[in-house]
Amino acid sequence: MVGGGLAGLAGTIRIAEAGLSVDLFSMVPVKRSHSVCAQGGINAANDIARQQGYSEYEHFDETIYGGDFLQHQPPVYEMVHWAPKIIDLLDRMGVPFNRTAESQRDLRLFGGSLYKRTHFAGATTGQQLLYALDEQVRRWEAQGKVNKYEYWEFLWPVLETDDTGRRCVGIVAQDVRTMQIRAFRAEAVVIATGGCGMIFGKSTNSVMCTGAAASRCYQAGAWYANGEFIQVHPTAIPGADKLRLMSESARGEGGRVWVPRTKADRRDPRDIPENQRFYFLEEKYPKYGNIVPRDIATREIFDICVNQGLGVGGGNMVYLDLTHLGREYLELKLGGIIEIYRKFVGEDPALVPMKIFPGVHYSMGGLWTQYTAKDDLRGMAMGAANSMMTNIPGLYAFGEVNYQYHGANRLGANALLSCIFDGLFCGAGVANYVLEVVTTTSARLDQSIYDAAARQQQEIIDRLINARGTESPYQIGRELGEEMTAASTVVKSEQRLLQAIEVLQLLQGRYQSIGLSDTGMWTNQNLSYARALGDMLKLAEVILQGGIDRKESRGAHYRTDFPDRDDANFLKTTVAKYDRDTDRPDIFLEPVETGLVPPRARTYGKVAASTDTTRPTETVSV
Amino acid sequence: MASTIAGFLDRHYFLLRRLHSLTGVVPIGVYLFPHLATNSSIVWGKLLNESKLPAGQLESLGIAAHAGVETFQHEVNFIHSLPGLVLIEIGLLWLPIAYHGLLGIYFAGTGRSNVDRYRYQDNWRYTLQRITGYIGVLFIFIHITSLRFGWTYWGLMPAFDPHAAASSTAQHFQRSTLGTTFIAAFYLVCVLALVYHFANGLWTAAITWGLTVSVHAQRRWGYVCGAVGLMLAGATVASVIGFSRLDIDAARQIEQVMRNGGAGAARHVEPGASNVLSASPDGRDR
Amino acid sequence: MVPPTTEALQARSVRFRIKRQDGPGRPWRWESFDVPVEPGANVISCLQWIAANPRTVDGRDSSPVAYDAGCLEEVCGACTMLINGQVRQSCSCLIDQYAPKDGDVMRLEPMSKFPVVRDLMVDRQRLFHALTRTKAWVPIDGTYHLGPGPQDTPQRQQVRYKLSECMSCGCCLEACPQYKLEEHESRWDKAFIGAHAISQARLFNEHGTGNVLASDRLDAMIGPGGVSDCGNAQNCVKVCPKDIPLTESIAAIGRAVTIHSIRKFFTGK
Repeated sequence: MVGGGLAGLAGTIRIAEAGLSVDLFSMVPVKRSHSVCAQGGINAANDIARQQGYSEYEHFDETIYGGDFLQHQPPVYEMVHWAPKIIDLLDRMGVPFNRTAESQRDLRLFGGSLYKRTHFAGATTGQQLLYALDEQVRRWEAQGKVNKYEYWEFLWPVLETDDTGRRCVGIVAQDVRTMQIRAFRAEAVVIATGGCGMIFGKSTNSVMCTGAAASRCYQAGAWYANGEFIQVHPTAIPGADKLRLMSESARGEGGRVWVPRTKADRRDPRDIPENQRFYFLEEKYPKYGNIVPRDIATREIFDICVNQGLGVGGGNMVYLDLTHLGREYLELKLGGIIEIYRKFVGEDPALVPMKIFPGVHYSMGGLWTQYTAKDDLRGMAMGAANSMMTNIPGLYAFGEVNYQYHGANRLGANALLSCIFDGLFCGAGVANYVLEVVTTTSARLDQSIYDAAARQQQEIIDRLINARGTESPYQIGRELGEEMTAASTVVKSEQRLLQAIEVLQLLQGRYQSIGLSDTGMWTNQNLSYARALGDMLKLAEVILQGGIDRKESRGAHYRTDFPDRDDANFLKTTVAKYDRDTDRPDIFLEPVETGLVPPRARTYGKVAASTDTTRPTETVSV
Repeated sequence: MASTIAGFLDRHYFLLRRLHSLTGVVPIGVYLFPHLATNSSIVWGKLLNESKLPAGQLESLGIAAHAGVETFQHEVNFIHSLPGLVLIEIGLLWLPIAYHGLLGIYFAGTGRSNVDRYRYQDNWRYTLQRITGYIGVLFIFIHITSLRFGWTYWGLMPAFDPHAAASSTAQHFQRSTLGTTFIAAFYLVCVLALVYHFANGLWTAAITWGLTVSVHAQRRWGYVCGAVGLMLAGATVASVIGFSRLDIDAARQIEQVMRNGGAGAARHVEPGASNVLSASPDGRDR
Repeated sequence: MVPPTTEALQARSVRFRIKRQDGPGRPWRWESFDVPVEPGANVISCLQWIAANPRTVDGRDSSPVAYDAGCLEEVCGACTMLINGQVRQSCSCLIDQYAPKDGDVMRLEPMSKFPVVRDLMVDRQRLFHALTRTKAWVPIDGTYHLGPGPQDTPQRQQVRYKLSECMSCGCCLEACPQYKLEEHESRWDKAFIGAHAISQARLFNEHGTGNVLASDRLDAMIGPGGVSDCGNAQNCVKVCPKDIPLTESIAAIGRAVTIHSIRKFFTGK
């Protein structure tokens, strides 16, 4: 198991429970994985929503609609039906979900839904979920069924080819403290390494979310799908080192987004009277208001600031106002994020509207994975050995690092769900693969395969250490981030993306002549970063190329030159294969399984929605 | 040997720790009350009581009546009349003190103060608890050996005579080769250290045993412990001042009168008759 | 997207004195770097700048400073270090608050209660070991669906939530005068376990199912290095970045072990 976030830990637990022993690799102590940053909550149909007409099916439909119909539907169907059970399980593990006066689990409203169906623990739900799973893994570790390798970085999958074909039989990893490189044997390898926000420089992601592990698998032959779908979260706090997430729950709990109606209004926001405030989301989307899905909110905020110049003080910022909610309510429901704003900005959101702007947040795309659908497409076959297996047998991808469930745009509070679901549901598939499919155990394979794999990695590392170039990896990384953010986030165009590809090729050229300021072989973070940077550059190209090839607008992918969705040509997955000869991604399109919910226009009841009015119930006129 | 001791400590670690906590409160801490009450009677006895000695007798000796000297002598007499005094002393005082002191030194050695980096009030409190503990062990040793066993430390500390309680104590303070101020300061510092150690120990013991869990409870109990500490500190200051300034010769003559028949007069002062503080005297030396 | 800049950037620089050590058992040294800071900068952004420009104030080429970091939002606990002598997360340490003037000096050191791996990075494995020692988990029957967990009142949930926010950063241990550096794993089980683990014992004893292991947890708390080793300096609660009521947890576990030991004395279990 590579990665110790929610997906990795949930998978570890399920596989250990099946009686197999698990080696768990993580670059950081698993309790510090990026899942801690998830704030708002986790979605699941529940009894209260059910009595208002909600059900797993509605949750399914919302997820598909929110994802602009780009996801395969059977896995989503399965996931949402597991959601209530997953909540129960987490509850049993001791997750302190907020409670109502009657001791029931409390619910909140979240983006893309008109029903309260998000379970939460304060405003640090991801942290609480991760801790619960971490505790269970520790329990397995104490029983000797799980071996943790913390501060070990995944470098490459070990592949073996025999007459039945190629399969993954282990990994090469490096201890980032001792810098020791070692090959490990395994019957199956699960990659659960999360997203790739660092490619965009500043994002809401943690510093280890470089996407390097996914990129390495891609370069080793695994396919990477829908890379161009990067979620830009509408509300983040800009910072010098990163963008800090301001949870969607702030809006779910009643937060309102607005800007002054007059350009560059310099007044204190508290002095601006109600009729001079432009609540643009509420006005444009009377039905969903502030809780429209993220891609829409992001584009609206971007439009207000960049195109209309209505941003706060003329800059790139809008107000997210919680001041009307009362301090006690805020502390109870949103304590964690209020605290973050207070600590990092130095202002109290209970008194002053927060200033926020969109920031890169989540990768809907990821390693291409398989599943086995049930005959009627309603769900996945339980225990199927190919559940979330990549195109390389024995190599799986769980959680954010795969491309399933979220399509073109992820709904808030569905990520925690998909990660844990992958671990629990597909973990069983991994166990079945190991117990039933694998015929030759890795222990019987020749050591030379592993030695060769480790040697190959050692050579890459040695090349970097001995490089005497003048380019700084940090400088290249910064330029990469700036270019990717400028070209491939909220609005894209063919011309801009092609320009970015050119910049990328220049950066790749400069990467060939980097030099490290630290050439030691002990906890050399300079080296680790430089190594990851090379892989980030490769993955960046996949993201850009996918964006160029997808000549339509869908979900988080918005092309100014193709502003409409094009189901005829692009209701398809973009799959990137690494071409070793050209060192470039080779992209093909693959059909999407949409057998349950036929695609329909996605308007979220936008007022006077010009192009998409096929679903009249959602077009509200004022 | 060392491993045997370590093994014993490990097996009974909790019991030993809790006994350490308990002995600090009972009997050692509680003992401070009668002890300091008795000692300070040199002041409050004078203020509250009236002399029971025949006035004429004192007049003929040319000295003023001093009810404090009488009260103190009476208290001491009472203590020394207790049956099996030495057993009480060993069982309720010396052994618990030795246990609390020795283990305390060991436990204090397991911590390292960091008030230089974290200047919180509570951190000072913690650090002072260790410092006052060390002072206390040293002081109690000197105190018991000098006043109970008559070690004079080369004339530094004149011995105590239970038959001339007030005067010999005053001598202990005033006739030291180092001077009254030094001994008075020495006692003041050491006893106040012990009073602090007790008051703070009483506060932390409530946490250790789980009596005060919430921050509020801890704060309120803190007020109580603070008040107890201040009361004991008051008695300490009174005792030290009282003995440092006592007219030794006059006291000696009063005691003489009490011993010769006047002793009968002193019997009038029944314990508890005129004040509450002497109601449970099991004080010992001085 | 362009990061918004409402105020004009003021060019000013802050001097970082960093305690560096190349590896375990190697000698340590101070190195100083002058770092230009922009409004909103924090210690991490300055360390990032140093990584890209590792040149000391006396013009010597040095190497990037090794440090631990993760979320940069003060929820993962990774970037804990000593800043101007006191322990805290470096991500939430804003330069404007610590060094408001041009040329101000900030001192960075690794935590002193854990073995240094390199520079500002320490090995906090013992901290996680303490969670195993405390059996800080709920012993569920397995991951199959068995219905909801025990019901919980909002009041109890609030108490548990607060305790559950502990991110194992180690601030409470660093500031504790009773917690000492133990290099060797063999000593971990007898050395003071620290406030965080005591609080976790309370957290799981408070849970309906977690309570099944209460007796095991209290046994761990009774032994050497358990709750008795607390000296009540109460630094832990003051440095805790999550305001976890650690001293209340210590008292609550004190109460629990009191009752537990009395029961054990009379019932033998």
